[in-house]
Amino acid sequence: MIELLGIEEKTYTLNLGPQHPSTHGVLRVVLEMNGEFITKAEPVIGYGHRGHEHMAENRNYTQFLPNMGRVDYLHALAYNQCYCMAVEKLLDIKVPERAEVIRVMTNELNRITSHLLWFGAYLMDLGAFTPFLYCFDDREQILDLLDRITGSRLTYCYYRFGGVPTDIDDDFVAGCRAFVSRLRSRWADYDNLVTKNVIFINRTRGVGIITREQCVKYGITGPNLRGSGIPYDIRKSEPYSAYPWFDFEIPIGSNGDIFDRYVVRLAEMEQSLRIIEQACNKLPDGPIMAEKVPKRIKPPVGEVYQAVETARGEFGMYIVSQGDVKPYRIKLRTPSFANMSFFPEMAVDNLVADLVANLGSIDVVIPEIDR
Amino acid sequence: MLKDNLTNALASLNLEKVAEGDYAKTGYHLEVAAQPAQMPDVAQAMLAAGCFLESFTAVDLRETFDLVYHFASFDELCRTAVHVPLGKKKGMPTISHIYPGADWYEREVFDLFGIHFFNHPNLKRLLLPEDADFHPLLKDFGASQGND
Repeated sequence: MIELLGIEEKTYTLNLGPQHPSTHGVLRVVLEMNGEFITKAEPVIGYGHRGHEHMAENRNYTQFLPNMGRVDYLHALAYNQCYCMAVEKLLDIKVPERAEVIRVMTNELNRITSHLLWFGAYLMDLGAFTPFLYCFDDREQILDLLDRITGSRLTYCYYRFGGVPTDIDDDFVAGCRAFVSRLRSRWADYDNLVTKNVIFINRTRGVGIITREQCVKYGITGPNLRGSGIPYDIRKSEPYSAYPWFDFEIPIGSNGDIFDRYVVRLAEMEQSLRIIEQACNKLPDGPIMAEKVPKRIKPPVGEVYQAVETARGEFGMYIVSQGDVKPYRIKLRTPSFANMSFFPEMAVDNLVADLVANLGSIDVVIPEIDR
Repeated sequence: MLKDNLTNALASLNLEKVAEGDYAKTGYHLEVAAQPAQMPDVAQAMLAAGCFLESFTAVDLRETFDLVYHFASFDELCRTAVHVPLGKKKGMPTISHIYPGADWYEREVFDLFGIHFFNHPNLKRLLLPEDADFHPLLKDFGASQGND
């Protein structure tokens, strides 16, 4: 690329991670560098491989439920829901309306916590410390709310086959309303701190562009895809649970750069607030558990593919049942796996200084890639 | 309709089965069965129709493997499941030159099942350490093996 005064052009290898604060977990990237430019990037994954798919084959359906919150710890409830929905489909169980609405409410709260954490951690990657403190303050409010009804603050396991185990009360609904207005009042601060920040804009505009063609070839989903202007969101494209009952929009970007992905995530939080607000207003009465859920889960022979929209994109579960109490095979299609497999193409020919900006912008959760 | 387009495109490939799926039960709109050698053509047809590779995995049926490809589209709700039976100790042609996203999926299947993919550019273990000598998702691999 650069040849000066007969100095031989040499590439060198740079090792990023596995212990690196900007890799958000244990990810290693082996970089081949030519000066400041990256000529090859090879992610090395698997440090967080716990063998969830193998565990699934060695325990019964109910015993596998808590595993789901540990695949992606930042949006545990979506994974929880996907598994419950897949098993409900196999068993042909219909979930009561109230349970569906509770699921959607808690799921959207969880989505906001995930986006808030990304927001803070990503800006910290870029060198801004203050936004982190703001968003963790807000995130804490949701954790308290969810803690009250689910009993945990991070690796939730709140849904059950057929519904939810504990009902929500008026205090929770009041807490949700208070949170909605609180977070809405913070958007102006977020915009002033970050969105209008010229340093942030210059670092992210036109950087790390993802095209539509690349999305198709790599199966990129979530805000990364929507930042490129494709309105694909499972909540709308393949409506599930109570999502069809609510009025919300799918924010999209136009350039597919980091800034667009940032704007999409911020706008998505507002849409989640809209869903929560509507759910508070028309929470149906009734049971929270389906009536006929067998004590012993033993689905008939068959297979099912269930997809949900998580904070990072499409999570899919492929379950093969051979009529046993244990699943014969469970495949977890995690969004970060597909998004991360695109990363080498994104990093190449860019400056090493943009590497962390690019990596953070696709919002990966490493244990979810490794499973 | 994407489903009709796909059915027409796949009809010329002489596949074992191209049938409508039971969406309410399985989540598939289209169910396809193909032979290993036909898979690159199927992937090409899927890409031409604008579908993306949603997931790819294998199931160890003890006597044989069942390889399952899921395709979906960003524009229209239409999920296609392609089942490919594969004998034990047989290899599979790669589709990573058609879908670069398949690169990692195939490496994962190689890693966890020991299935070889012909012409794969970089077929090495993905999740397990490079010196691992087992394939944990095979059915004859016990629950506590590989811990030493």
